[in-house]
Amino acid sequence: MDSFNAITVAIFLPFIFAGLIPVMEKLLKQRVGWFAAATALASFILIGLAAPEVLGEGHIVQGSISWIPSAGVNFAIYADGLAMLIGFIASGIGVLIMSYSNGYMSQKEDLKRYYQYLLLFMGSMIGMVFSANTIQLFIFWELTSITSFMLIGYWRHKPESIYGATKSLLITAAGGLAMLAGFLLLRTITGSFDLAAILSDPQVINAVKEHELFLITLILILIGAAAKSAQGPFYIWLPNAMEAPTPVSAFLHSATMVKAGIYLVARIHPIFSGTDAWFILVSGIGILTMLVAGFLAFRQTDIKGILAYSTISQLAYMMTMYGYTTHHEPGIGVAAATFHLLNHATFKACLFLVAGIVAHEAATRDIRKLGGLRREMPITFIVASIAALSMAGVPPLNGFLSKEMFYESSLEMGALLGGGFTFLIPACAVLGGVFTFAYSIKLIDGIFLGERSKEHLPEHIHEPPLTMLIPPAFLALLVIVFGLVPSLPVHTIIEPTVSGILLETAHLHVKLWHGFTTSLMMTIVTFILGILIYFRYDRIAALQDNFNARFPWISVNYYYDDAVDSAKGRAFKFSTITQPGNIKYYMTAMLLLMITVVAIPVITLATNIVPSTLNFDIAPYEAILLLLLIVAALASAVLPKYLPSIIALSALGYGVSLLFIYLKAPDLALTQVLVETLSTIIFLLAITKIPQKYREKIPKSVLFRDLAISLAVAASVFVVLLNATQGIVAPFESLSHYFIENSLPLAGGHNIVNVIIVDFRGYDTLGEISVLCLAALGVYNLIHSRGEEQ
Amino acid sequence: MTTIITKTITKVCIPLVILFSISLLLAGHNNPGGGFIGGVMFASVIALMYVVFGLKYVKTFFNPDWAKWFGFGLTLASLTAFAAMFFGHNFFRSAVEFVHLPLFGEIELVSAGLFDIGVYFVVIGSLLFIFKNVGDDNE
Repeated sequence: MDSFNAITVAIFLPFIFAGLIPVMEKLLKQRVGWFAAATALASFILIGLAAPEVLGEGHIVQGSISWIPSAGVNFAIYADGLAMLIGFIASGIGVLIMSYSNGYMSQKEDLKRYYQYLLLFMGSMIGMVFSANTIQLFIFWELTSITSFMLIGYWRHKPESIYGATKSLLITAAGGLAMLAGFLLLRTITGSFDLAAILSDPQVINAVKEHELFLITLILILIGAAAKSAQGPFYIWLPNAMEAPTPVSAFLHSATMVKAGIYLVARIHPIFSGTDAWFILVSGIGILTMLVAGFLAFRQTDIKGILAYSTISQLAYMMTMYGYTTHHEPGIGVAAATFHLLNHATFKACLFLVAGIVAHEAATRDIRKLGGLRREMPITFIVASIAALSMAGVPPLNGFLSKEMFYESSLEMGALLGGGFTFLIPACAVLGGVFTFAYSIKLIDGIFLGERSKEHLPEHIHEPPLTMLIPPAFLALLVIVFGLVPSLPVHTIIEPTVSGILLETAHLHVKLWHGFTTSLMMTIVTFILGILIYFRYDRIAALQDNFNARFPWISVNYYYDDAVDSAKGRAFKFSTITQPGNIKYYMTAMLLLMITVVAIPVITLATNIVPSTLNFDIAPYEAILLLLLIVAALASAVLPKYLPSIIALSALGYGVSLLFIYLKAPDLALTQVLVETLSTIIFLLAITKIPQKYREKIPKSVLFRDLAISLAVAASVFVVLLNATQGIVAPFESLSHYFIENSLPLAGGHNIVNVIIVDFRGYDTLGEISVLCLAALGVYNLIHSRGEEQ
Repeated sequence: MTTIITKTITKVCIPLVILFSISLLLAGHNNPGGGFIGGVMFASVIALMYVVFGLKYVKTFFNPDWAKWFGFGLTLASLTAFAAMFFGHNFFRSAVEFVHLPLFGEIELVSAGLFDIGVYFVVIGSLLFIFKNVGDDNE
């Protein structure tokens, strides 16, 4: 299988197998999770098939299948190192998560739904990273948002789940729409939806950077990235997303989906970086988020809450590093960011899985109630400590290496900017590291060290089953291996990824021991400050609580809740104005609209209001018929009761059909007769229901107003019709010639009216018959819903 | 409305009008007619039957689920539109074929005709569905 096909299959396999889950569940019962894990493994291997070509030889695998060629949108794959890295993370962590879920998820749960969503998510994520086309990327992007929504709201009976799910969908999907707008602007600038074409052409990239729409395009795309990766004010959805089952949090909300925003930043890095705007926006948001989220983690009492804030802060590290850019050196932090992306996926997913184990065995995730579990769960304790120390940046683990690289790139960026930045940027980086260190220690200390609480915890706590222990242990092993032998991940995957982002071959040298450098000093400072802060951990948390209680408006959540809670009331207010419910207001609005948009243009376009070449020569029988029509119309308006009035109305209708016969339009006449018959019958059925008091008291002013509107409408219709006899008015052309000429040769029909309905305007007709079906269902609902109210 | 005269005439009319509505449907491509008129014709004669014999009585021997009719019609019409895509054409591309059959002579087969049949069923189904529901409600 060549690389293109392998990747295509890897994308669609999870989608297809998700459809097979219900069948497999009947066969495998509660072991269906192993089928899902096997699917993830298959995707991993399929992506691996492309590895020799992409990672080994450094080729970029590309290929496309025609999809909507007229819009320049194809299903296209662009597999460089970056796509491979995230593809491997998504499918690889997927294998671990789905295996782990076999132990975690109770067999009473709806497992079908759970694994289906997981597989759908994984397919969307893989599809997203390999997309060569912005529209395709957008579709998969929103699919990940939707599957994430489903998984956060998996426990439908919990209001917190629903709140979290709604919040995440509103924020990430809205961000996705901003991103789509950005992609459309990018197409306006470059003329292409094809990322591969843009990336491969330096001239196009230069054109983007000099274009006047550059800034707004960048901002829109970054809003999408920030919403997805919980950066800046958009961070608020991630803590609430922790209501999802813990394996889901580990998979979507730490290792993969939240990396989509980082991926996007890395993907558009070659197009937008090297500009001031890129540095200010990306690094600016990154540094702010890193500090604020790291600080706010102190306040959390739920271990998943701490991990959520830590994820936000760690993602902000990557954002910051991808943002480090100057005109001459566009990619100062790219290698560090990419390495940290991989490392974070390993240690954070591991920590989440440990959180799942703790919650599963100790029945609580509250860090105030936990403690002293090291004796009962020694293996879990070791695994968790490895992951948490890696996050804290302790050697010889992989987190230490990427944090060192973070400090180095911060120093370099600060030095290049000069002035106050020389100290400010590294200082911010160290401060971020200090917070990380403190809450990492808190996790180990709070769960495993200290005194065991008797009243909050069950009597017997033991190690989890092996299905739940092996996945985090495997990740912890990776943490150590990547730390001790950094050249292994760096040469196999990080270098190709960095080459993919920088569009030039990169050579990296990462060593565990690199001498007493400034960055090592910074790490030591981080540890000392971290320990000092840790002694005041609880006091800082209490301070934050007090502050937040006194000034609730400081939190972004305050504004989100306000907007969402009052949305219903505001919509109601709006709709009471626009939808008053009484039909006469709608009629008034429609008629006034008709006068303005139909009558006024026609009258202004026509040279005379009443054309001079009118032909008053009509046959006597036509004159009689027209007279009868007028009488019937007037009668329907003035007759005092419903029944005679309706009969007068149908007389008018039948009279019109007679007129159609004189005018040699048998189709229309036939239709008119039939429709008139049916509408009369429906009218008769309906009038038995409404109060028989036909004449309500109408105030004089209302009567005059309605009369004025009616007369204006009648007059404008009259003028329009008079002008219509003159043919089509000047700037427009008549279509009828086309239909008359082409009806037989193109559609093989002599009846032009019918050919127009079913062939030339078939699309319209399809819409109309759909409306007819909906109207029928609407009538049904109206009748039956009214019955319920009684 | 329920005199013996109307009842007798209605009985005679029903099969004739139904046949006429089908002929309108099939003739529509070249002569006056078409799915819409044919459908309304069919609906009106059933409506006539409902009115003359009473909805309750008619339901004892003739009670189709009209919702299924318009469901079928809409499906057929959409499938006709999609069918062209399976032959590599654009959505809604129509095709004309002339077939020679013994006894009937030259017959013109138009894909748009199938679409028209869909329209026919939608019109019958939705009109009578509304009609029957409003009528049911009166009782």
